[in-house]
Amino acid sequence: MTATLSPPALEAEDVSYTYSGPPPTHALQNLTLRVRDNEFLAVLGPVGCGKTTLLRIFAGFLRPTSGKVRCAGSGIDGPGWQRGYVLQEQAIFPWMTVRENVEFGLLAKGVEPSAREAVSDELIKLIGLTAFEAAYPKDLSAGMSKMVEVVRVLATDPSILLLDEPFGALDAQTRARMQDALARLWEQRRKTVLFVTHDVEEALYLADRIVVLSERPGKLKAQFEVAVPRPRSVNTRFSAGFLALKREIWDATGR
Amino acid sequence: MMGAVRVRRAIVALVAVAVLYGIAAQIGRGRLPDRIWMGAHYVDNVKLLPTWQQLAEEGAYLVESEILLDSVVVSTRRVAIGLVLGSVAGILLGLLTGWASRIESLADPWVTFFRFAPALALLPLYVVWFGYGETSKVLLIATNVAVITLLGAHQGVRGVPRVYLDAAASLGAGRWLRFRKIVLPAAFPSIFGSVRIAVGLAWVTIVVAELIDARMPSLGYLLALSGTYPRVPTMLIALATVGALVLVFDLLALLLHARATRWMGRTA
Repeated sequence: MTATLSPPALEAEDVSYTYSGPPPTHALQNLTLRVRDNEFLAVLGPVGCGKTTLLRIFAGFLRPTSGKVRCAGSGIDGPGWQRGYVLQEQAIFPWMTVRENVEFGLLAKGVEPSAREAVSDELIKLIGLTAFEAAYPKDLSAGMSKMVEVVRVLATDPSILLLDEPFGALDAQTRARMQDALARLWEQRRKTVLFVTHDVEEALYLADRIVVLSERPGKLKAQFEVAVPRPRSVNTRFSAGFLALKREIWDATGR
Repeated sequence: MMGAVRVRRAIVALVAVAVLYGIAAQIGRGRLPDRIWMGAHYVDNVKLLPTWQQLAEEGAYLVESEILLDSVVVSTRRVAIGLVLGSVAGILLGLLTGWASRIESLADPWVTFFRFAPALALLPLYVVWFGYGETSKVLLIATNVAVITLLGAHQGVRGVPRVYLDAAASLGAGRWLRFRKIVLPAAFPSIFGSVRIAVGLAWVTIVVAELIDARMPSLGYLLALSGTYPRVPTMLIALATVGALVLVFDLLALLLHARATRWMGRTA
């Protein structure tokens, strides 16, 4: 396949990361990971296994203690819009309206107001928040805020998305709805996605491939190809193939 | 609206205080001593607790003679200039030190040093440096205001949540854009809180500062003068005037605040 010819979209080679102590915390150990172009890869692992550390390394906020990370073949040197990063915490800017939040990346790029508006119009519509475009985040639910954060990184059209448990703090129903919205988004716009989660079903529903990390220090424990057809829907969640794979992953995570 | 309720409550409280004072003054009339020892001599005919009628007469005199209005104008002008100068200097410096120490993560012992240095103690120094004129009065207010607002801005900047700065950086924002669009608005509540404190402090300072080169018209000297005679009605009216001016300034500040923080939940 072509994937072997061009360098992977994201690549971690033998990466270790240690937070300096005292006592020092070994978050990642000799992790090797490749994310193919336009692949939706979910990283699954228990709390504290270094998932967030891995994402922050790819986002450019941390440098691996040893090993190498590359983005499309070249080294990662600091944060940048090319790798859209949605933090685990609530990071929507409370002093900006929904529209201003969505347009922030374009503003940073120096895009003209009219062009910014065209992009934000489309993205806000995509998540069904047109009625809220002038609202401040205080008037949004947690789920809405998170979706705004997701499309905020989409505005600059990065080729890579790094999502850190974006729906971790939501209730089960909202979560399912947000997952649907993200699945639709991805089907429309095909990006390379690295999605961190501790929820097996969420990983299965969204991803093409799942890697399982061990407990700290995070090491690669298992990998699964998710051969579940798209577009996925509620029915997918109850299909035999889906459930069988879910069982397999549950066993692999050792719970 | 919450505003209407608050205004009504304030009026009720004010009327209650006024009525209680009136009752106390009526009871005290004829019972309180009329003659007091002032340390070196006796003073006769002091109205320790003047009645509303006496206050009204004194007030009418102060207004008609234009003493009160002139004093208000002079003192307000000093406070306003001092506030503007001090806030601008303090906020700019605070933003600078806050943003710098954020990056270098310096400890800030000097913040503690300034927080507790009583700026009023600068009064004799300022008289020597800047003379007896307007300059020392305005600068004394400005210094007090600058210290408070510097701390407010410094701590506001240091307290900007990491997540917002990280999110902005990964969206491609450079340092200047992050400062303008993330740090400034996030630090605003803290900066503004300090300005509000500074407004009250500026009025305290001016009353003391107007004792340097004490002369009329000024509210500070009006207070001091009425204390030496002593004229209790004048004192009470001057005090009430200062209080009312602080309230007006605070209200103006709050209006500004409400406009600038429409994004925040209504908690205050």
